[in-house]
Amino acid sequence: MKKFLLLCLFIFGLVFALSNFQGLASQGDFKSIILDFREDIPNSKIKEEIRTIAQQYNRQATLNSIFSIEDNVYIVEGDRKVLDALQHSPLRKDTEYIEPNYIYHQLEVPNDPEYSKQWNLHTINVEQAWDETKGDGVTVAVIDTGVTKVPDLKLTKFVRGYDFVNDRVSANDDNGHGTHVAGTIAQSTNNGYGVAGIAYEAKVMPLKVLAAGGGGTIADIAEAIKFAADRDVDVINMSLGGAGESHLMKEAIDYAYNKDVVIIAAAGNENRNAASYPARYPHVISVAATDAAGEKAPYSNYGAGVDISAPGGSETAKIIQNTIDPSTGESTFVGFQGTSMAAPHVAGVAALVKASGVSEPEQVLDVLKRSARRVQEDPLNHFGAGHLNAAEAVKLALKGQITFRDFFRWLRDSGYLNPRFWIDGGAVALLPKILMVVGSYLLAWFLRNYLPVSFGLHSGLILGSSGLFFLQGLYVFDLPQWPFRLLGSSIPELGNVPAGSTILNPFTASILIPLLLVILLVGHKTLKWFAIGSALGVSACLAVSAAIDPAVMGLGTELVSRSFLVINALLCFGLAYLASQGEKQKA
Amino acid sequence: MQVIGKIEKKGFGFGTWALVAEDGTIYELKDPPQELRQAIAKVQIEGQINEDVMTIAMIGPVLEVESFQILS
Repeated sequence: MKKFLLLCLFIFGLVFALSNFQGLASQGDFKSIILDFREDIPNSKIKEEIRTIAQQYNRQATLNSIFSIEDNVYIVEGDRKVLDALQHSPLRKDTEYIEPNYIYHQLEVPNDPEYSKQWNLHTINVEQAWDETKGDGVTVAVIDTGVTKVPDLKLTKFVRGYDFVNDRVSANDDNGHGTHVAGTIAQSTNNGYGVAGIAYEAKVMPLKVLAAGGGGTIADIAEAIKFAADRDVDVINMSLGGAGESHLMKEAIDYAYNKDVVIIAAAGNENRNAASYPARYPHVISVAATDAAGEKAPYSNYGAGVDISAPGGSETAKIIQNTIDPSTGESTFVGFQGTSMAAPHVAGVAALVKASGVSEPEQVLDVLKRSARRVQEDPLNHFGAGHLNAAEAVKLALKGQITFRDFFRWLRDSGYLNPRFWIDGGAVALLPKILMVVGSYLLAWFLRNYLPVSFGLHSGLILGSSGLFFLQGLYVFDLPQWPFRLLGSSIPELGNVPAGSTILNPFTASILIPLLLVILLVGHKTLKWFAIGSALGVSACLAVSAAIDPAVMGLGTELVSRSFLVINALLCFGLAYLASQGEKQKA
Repeated sequence: MQVIGKIEKKGFGFGTWALVAEDGTIYELKDPPQELRQAIAKVQIEGQINEDVMTIAMIGPVLEVESFQILS
């Protein structure tokens, strides 16, 4: 029942999203408008039109470039209001088109002007990770010298923290270290100012345990860990360290870990063969530092206890973030180095992983380790599992999970977002078709770990489940309609729809065709995915038909037809499962 | 304990004053007096290691200065 309700919710969400979907074509930024004058209009007329624009809108239309003379392509500054006015003016009849001069951005590259200097963020492939998540819904506690809301943290979300040094709620920074660390995790990004952060939609909880001099007591740090755990933070970053083992601190770490908090700490800057405390405790992810070339940073601890490495910088290439200058209290962009800088990279990526749906600390560590770029020769364990890789971590975290974005992308790639598809499809009962498509995708998701995302698989899923069903409703004067019905049929419908019947044929509405396809195509490298996809698609189609309209030729009663369809749906799924398992074993 | 060595600023955060002992051990000076907040070629420091403290510098044992003598 729960699963059924979830499915209903999912379908409701899908329909809602589609009804609210604004096509990409109508989105985008523009600051100017393109006017393409017709080529059969004399130059004198164009000049007159340009003068009219100058008078009426107080703006000058200019040729886009010297190469635009022949095509009469002019550009005029303006927003959507001006665009609407121009499109409804008499000018329209003298132009081929009037349209926005969209500014194209490269995907997910933030507009922060100093972003290009952040070699560290490029190194961890954060842009590809941002395509999936920016850490929304996750809270990261920064246990450090406090965090001051410098201008480039203005848009970053904060939750209330605590100053354990001065015993007060406001946890401002008087050293500059904590603010820098918080910046790496969640600096306000895409705000046209300063630099970027990794999980910039995550919330920051500032916890001050270190005084202006940069030191603090174990008792305060342990209390801060418990404070954070009790307030449901997801990730704790500790860019601090020392020598002494403490039961109090170990207990606090275990307490937070048992509350599903991912705890990350810097390995230390002694260039020593062991991580310092607290990085050394079990249940703490210990981070070593690398330089811009990916080599071990000269100061970084290594060896025992190091779990992973991340950019920490060196004398020649540091990590730049916005912080305060403790001598003046003013905001400054400054480069720091240290394992202190490496740890928040991992904390930021852990936040992205958590935002992708992996919640248990053990699993988060597993994702971080498995996604890391392994360093082939690392006899001294300088790098732990390898170099931190945000893109792979998020990809791995999402694997085996159905996400709305994932599903939406699939819809788009399969052409289902084309409005004509839905309008024309209205001629055919739409809801069962949607269920069949969704069902086939859900089945594919069950086997996702064995299936490559390929054109063949999608084609199979569509042909098996719904077919190009909108073609069934297409009528052209003086042409026979059966070819459209044939092209518009899914595999199970091949036995009835071309003939104009709505009652399924037991030969086509069964495992027979998918079985034949699998037998014939299983040896082919790419076509086998089509066969597997078609088995899943047919399974979804038969299951939906069994539930909604269980009519099969020659099977008489509804109960027999329904049982026949359910059995064949299960057989088809089993067939796809077995075929994909075979692939897995081969691999 | 008594340590002889040189004082250097280590570049972590906005900088941390450190005592590099003659045997190579690096001690982080905890809130050193003003006279020790500069590079000094040789200094003798009397102090205690504090294991209950954690720091942002993480460069070595934290040394609390009780007395000192600048040797050169």
